[in-house]
Parts: sequence; structure tokens; C-alpha cells
Amino acid sequence: MFIKRNYKIFLLCITVLLVMLIAGCSGGGKSSGEVKEIKIGNILPLSGSAAPVGKIGQQARDMAVEEINAAGGIKSLGGAKIKMIYADSKGDPATGVAEAERLITQERVALITGAYQSGVTLPATEVAERYKVPFVCPVPSEDVITERGFKYVFRLAEKTTWRNREQVRFIQDMAKKFGTPVKTVALIYENTAWGQGAVKGWEKYLKEAGLKIVLKEPYPANSSDLTPVVLKVKQLKPDVIMMCSYVSDAALLTNTFAEHKVKPLAFIGTSGGFADPVYFKTTGDNSEYFFDISTWEPDVNRPFSKEVNEKFKQKYGYPMNAEAVKAYTAMYVIKDALERAGSLDPEAIRKALAETKLTSGVTQMYASEIIFDESGQMVNAPLIISQFRKINGKMERVTVWPEKEARPGWKPVWPFPGWDK
Amino acid sequence: MGVLSSIINGILMGGVYGLLAMGLTLIFGIMKIINFAHGAFLMVAMILSYWLWKIMGLDPYLSIIIIAPLMFLLGYLTQRFTIKPVLDAEKDVREPIGALLLTAGLAVAIENFILMVFGADYLMAKTAYSGASINISSLSISVPRLYAFVTSLVVAFLFYQFLIKTELGRAMRATGQDRGVALLMGINVSKVYSIAFGIGTALAGLAGIVLIPFYYAHPSVGAVFITKAFIIVVLGGLGSVHGALVGGLIIGLIESVAAQYMTATWTAILIYFAFLAFLLLKPSGLFGSRYEW
Repeated sequence: MFIKRNYKIFLLCITVLLVMLIAGCSGGGKSSGEVKEIKIGNILPLSGSAAPVGKIGQQARDMAVEEINAAGGIKSLGGAKIKMIYADSKGDPATGVAEAERLITQERVALITGAYQSGVTLPATEVAERYKVPFVCPVPSEDVITERGFKYVFRLAEKTTWRNREQVRFIQDMAKKFGTPVKTVALIYENTAWGQGAVKGWEKYLKEAGLKIVLKEPYPANSSDLTPVVLKVKQLKPDVIMMCSYVSDAALLTNTFAEHKVKPLAFIGTSGGFADPVYFKTTGDNSEYFFDISTWEPDVNRPFSKEVNEKFKQKYGYPMNAEAVKAYTAMYVIKDALERAGSLDPEAIRKALAETKLTSGVTQMYASEIIFDESGQMVNAPLIISQFRKINGKMERVTVWPEKEARPGWKPVWPFPGWDK
Repeated sequence: MGVLSSIINGILMGGVYGLLAMGLTLIFGIMKIINFAHGAFLMVAMILSYWLWKIMGLDPYLSIIIIAPLMFLLGYLTQRFTIKPVLDAEKDVREPIGALLLTAGLAVAIENFILMVFGADYLMAKTAYSGASINISSLSISVPRLYAFVTSLVVAFLFYQFLIKTELGRAMRATGQDRGVALLMGINVSKVYSIAFGIGTALAGLAGIVLIPFYYAHPSVGAVFITKAFIIVVLGGLGSVHGALVGGLIIGLIESVAAQYMTATWTAILIYFAFLAFLLLKPSGLFGSRYEW
């Protein structure tokens, strides 16, 4: 059924593409002279299973661009306005590549942003690199994206393994602060590329920190029962339990830990399922005092965070998420680079992006300082740890670490107080 | 203690697997149809049970009174209006495959219908006993799983008595053994089929109801359990009701106990190996002889 529908959509896309091609051919060809608008191509999953996240990314970009254009556009280019052009990747790498190609050759965009999924971003950035068009990646986190020696790819997001690094730093920090030595760690992860990648990161940083991994337990994400895994952990009594899960298995694990009253010093999740709103709905109080890692939370103590989120909520009816914040920030990073480039020459834009040093303005809601290293990777992507707390009968994610970005008045609860709450 | 805990957990889960497999094996034993829609029926019952709990506050175990007959009716009508015409049309075909494809199609249709109406959210009835456990020193027994296991046993016992002792049960077994002879003896085979499919669906429904206090319902939840149910049916012997229960317990035990000595992903492999080994060494399964019941 899916295949059939996709096929129809495919046919439709082909038709649309052909029409666009014809229209593009007749209308193009006026690139010289003064700049009136700057075309930015955006590859996002606007249909398919990741469509909701693609949509919120689009909305965040649109809000930023509206603000930039309303404030007079790009001044160094005579007040030229930014024009957003969206291309639907459907979350499919091949489509992403075709769309990147189209944006560059047909739409003649000045630069591209995207593409949410790492799997799409990897080949799409290759196209941009070949055509020497700058590509800004706000969200995808696969390490290798900025490890291929590319010159035109810039990433605002953290690398996947950085999350693992920060989790380990958090454990060490807590162990020291609360005087509860942590020696052993159990790693529980879903058995796909994502979970296996997390394990590699954990192994590296845990080893560096001198912590002992007593259990490495992969499980199939669609398990009918995770009690066996939980019982195994219970036997080994690790000090800390680290998890990398999708939402159904995250919830199943949490509830099964509750059933068997497993009590380590801390449970730490790796975003994904733990960050899904459904997680609270399906675990209720059981998830209280669990930790999770992310780059942004609505309550994070950073300048502009509240204001921008409030505006977004007014405009679209729901709050931002970390992905939306990165997309929003990316547009301001691009604006800043365009101002300094003062031209639409891709090489000038690339150079300006590489020289980015943003330490003020709304980008503060994401990071206090935005700098790219020579690989195009943002240095020090800002990771924070939140703890799930019950506030007025409702579960909330409370930012607790690092201290200066924590929700004012809140501190981490460490060690895990147990199940009889 | 860890091993004891995992043995207990394996038995508890095994009972539920067995209950699900029982419906599948019944339909196969009597109609010789492999019902791919079995997992979809499980899912429908889970979602119904969830919403009854959510809206009316009805405990899933009480909702059995409503859902079991409803599922029976759903199965009965499904057989009467979709499978029967296909079976009739293929009466003279030596290897009828139409019904099998039909059930596979039904599964997709039901799953997508539920997806459309209820969405893809994960739903679980958080009853008072969800997440509760009985703790004896370091041994912990999950209460919702215990209830599920006891219910599975009671249902299996009642169902077995029905098959052995009642006239209808005898008629069903007779039809399963030889459709032609049963017809000659005056059994309304078509009706027996509908009833068997109805009961099989109701059993899937019961399995769904006992799962909902501790497992999440979503449109494709059937896939999580159905593969296991197929393995259990083959393990216990195609068409053997008590074989399904024993097979369920074996799979539950392997899954739970073996996981203490290897990673959870390996136990899945082990289960499939057991499945392959059985197919190779004893294709009729533990209790499966053609005419046994």
C-alpha cells in the first residue's frame, strides 16, 4: 500500500519537476546587476514519516527570515531580501540529492540549508561541495558529516558522540559534587545504527574517564518484553544506567525498571525516545528523576530563549523544539555571513561563514558563541542535561546542568531517590 | 535470584504468547488457513480496551465482557463475508492460497484503518496494578503479567474443555480432521468455520486485553507478537491447542532466561534457531499429529 502511494507521489513529483523545469528554463537568466533577493534553498522532509519535524523546521526558518527581511534585509547587499525555496526530501537520500541538484542548477540558490536526517544530508552535501555552493546543516548530527574534508559544509549541530561525551562529563561532575563515587556503568541501547553509534561514543569517553562498563546490552527496538534486560541489569547493580532508545522501548524500559525497582545512582537517556512527548504519557510518574540530554529546552537559562519561543508559540500554536531553535539560529548565522560577504559569490559566502564569530544577538538562545572550526563543525555545540520532575502533578523536563544554564532555582536530584515516591 | 526472576518472567510472558498462539492454531487446525490478520485483531482489541478504560474508566479485565463477544462477532463476520467467498471460489483448487493472501490484505487494511482513525500514538492503560510488583526479598514478580498469565491459563482451560466436551467442540474437531466426512455426517461446515474464526479472533482479543496494562498499543503492535505466535504454533504442532500453550511457555522461557547469559538480540536469534531446528527435526511440532486432539 505504501509502495503504491509512494509511486503515485513519485509520478506527481516527476510531473511537477518537469513543469518546474520548463518554467525555470523560460524564466531564468537574469543573474547580473544589482541584487534584489537572495535565494536560499532548503531541503527538508516535508512529507513521509518525518514530515512533522520537517514542518517545524520550515516554520522556524520562515519566522527568522520574516524578521530579517522586516528589519531591512541584507544591508551590505542594498537591503536585498531573503527568499526561501523549500524542497521536499521525503526523508529519502536519493530525493535529497536530486533536490540539491535542482536547487543549485535550476533555482540558482546562493546557499542551501538542511536536511534534517543525516542519511539525506551526507549525499546532499556532496552535491553542494561539487558545485561549490555553501551548505549549512542546522540539525543532522552524524559525526562524519564534517569529517570528510569538505570546504562548503558548515554544521551548527553537535556531533552525535559529543552527546555521549557530555553525558560522561555530567556523571563525573555529579559524582564529585554529591560525593557519590561512580565506578560502573551499564549501557542499554536499541540495536540499529543509532544505538550502535552511541555505544562507540560511550565506550570512548567512559574509558577516558576511567569508568567501568559492566554491561553492554543491545536489544531489538520492537521487543515484546524487556524484562530480561532489566533483570540482567538488576543483577549487576551498576552505578549508572545509560540508555539510547526510541519511544516505545524507552517507555517499556522505564516501566519495567519501576516494576523491578532497579535503583542505580542515575538513569540517563540519550534524547530520541526520551524527548518524545509520548514518553511522559506512557510512563507517568515512573520517569521522575531520570536524566536526558539535549541542546535546548524551553526553560533553558539563555538570553532571548523565552522571547523567541513565546513568539513562535503565538505564531504557530506550539512551542519550539531543539531542532527548531537550530534552524532559527542557522538563518541568523547565514544573515551574518551574507552581511560580511557583501556579495553572492559562493566563495565570498563560504569565506564569511568560515570566519563566523557570533557572540551577541538572538543566536544566544542556542549558543553564547558560534564559531566554526576548519572542518566546518561548530565548536562547542551547547549541550544541556535536563531532569524529569513532577511539577503540580505534571511531568516536566527541567534543565539542571550546566549550572549557569539551569532553570533558575532548580538543582539536579542525585542520586536517584528510589521508586517509593 | 536473577535466574529465578527470569524463569518466572519467562513463564508469565509465555502464557500470554500461548494465548495468542492458541487462536492462530485453532484457525489453522480447523480451517487450514494461516491467518495473517491475527496480529491486527490483537491490536484492535488492545486499542478498544484502551479506549474503554480511557473514556469509561473500565478496567481492561472487566472490558473482556464487552470486547470478547465483539471480537468473536468481528471474526465471525470476517469469515462469513470475506474468507468464505474466497474459500468457496477455490474449493477445487489443490493448494488454495487466496485465503492466505486475503488475511494478509485484511491485516494491512485493518492496521491502516486504525492508523487513520486513532493515529499512531502509543497507548497503554495505566491501571492501578500497572507497574506494581510483588517483592519477595530480591525477587520481583510483575503484577499485571501475573494477572495476564492466570487469565491465559483459565481461558486455555475453558477453551480446551469446550473443544473436548461440547457438541460444537466435537463438530469443530471433526471438521478439522476431515472436512468432507464432517459434511457427510451432517455438520454445517461453513458455520463451524465462522465460529472457529470467531473464537480464534476472540482469543487474540483476550491476549490483547491482558497485554494492555503493561504493553503499548499502536497500529503495528501486531507485528511485534505475531512472528512469535507463528513460531509457537509450529513448535507446539500446527493445530494443537495445548501445543500452543506449551510452545508459548518454551519461547517465553528461552527469551527470558537465555537473555541472562547473552544479549537480548542473541535470544531472538536463538528462538529462530529453535524454530528452524524444529522444522528440520520434527516438522509436526511437539504435539502435532494430523489427527490428534
